[in-house]
Amino acid sequence: MASTDGAPEAGSAKTPADFLKSIKGKPVVVKLNSGVDYRGILACLDGYMNIAMEQTEEYVNGQLKNKYGDAFIRGNNVLYISTVKS
Amino acid sequence: MLKQGAGLAEEDATVKEPLDLIRLSLDERIYVKLRGERELRGKLHAYDQHLNMILGEVEETITTVEIDDETYEEIIKTNKRAIPYLFVRGDGVILVSPPLRS
Amino acid sequence: MLFYSYFKTLVGKEVTVELKNDLAISGTLHSVDQYLNIKLHNTRVINEQKYPHMLSVRNCFIRGSVVRYVQLPPGSVDVEILHDATRREARGGG
Repeated sequence: MASTDGAPEAGSAKTPADFLKSIKGKPVVVKLNSGVDYRGILACLDGYMNIAMEQTEEYVNGQLKNKYGDAFIRGNNVLYISTVKS
Repeated sequence: MLKQGAGLAEEDATVKEPLDLIRLSLDERIYVKLRGERELRGKLHAYDQHLNMILGEVEETITTVEIDDETYEEIIKTNKRAIPYLFVRGDGVILVSPPLRS
Repeated sequence: MLFYSYFKTLVGKEVTVELKNDLAISGTLHSVDQYLNIKLHNTRVINEQKYPHMLSVRNCFIRGSVVRYVQLPPGSVDVEILHDATRREARGGG
């Protein structure tokens, strides 16, 4: 059950907003509309789905193309945010 | 609006929302990935919540992929150009990466 | 409003507007509005051979949303003022 105070556990998130709250600081994959994937630690996000990530790796067609210490992704490009096993 | 400001409050160095990452990169060289296989490197002088930006000492890289008529091999070409000062409209921005901080 | 205010200070200056369809137009900035729509006077297209239909265009209105870049005249970029205005805008809440 999601607790009413802090962030709920990822597995028991009820709403998309709860899910987003619960995955801060966790390893994620962010897929963009272009098909490019970003893997890294989700630092934070806002209502536009702008995303700040750490230790980000950029994958194009499954191949690692770039690494960024910090990365800001503009929300309109985001297709989905997915948690991954670390 | 564009007045010289009086004493600014000490800068908050924490990242609470994604735009803080951009705020902390003011006056630093940043990397910007844009739509249309374009990349910019330049010093961030101004930005707003749309990610409209003014960059200085900009290097733009445009990547194009051509297919060789005979071998059908992909030929990747990069074109670079330098621009002293550039306003970038935010809607073309995909990713912004600040310089590595210790 | 930061960039609207900034562009208003460039009225009368020479700028190059690069559009999302790759057309680049130089001209004197005549006016700008809150959407960053732009009016240019005495326009010249950068690659005239490629865009011969633009040869006779001397004034134009550019919808803000089709702009990719505006190349700014170096003499009219005051870095300190831009920094301060940006920090104020960031604090004021975007």
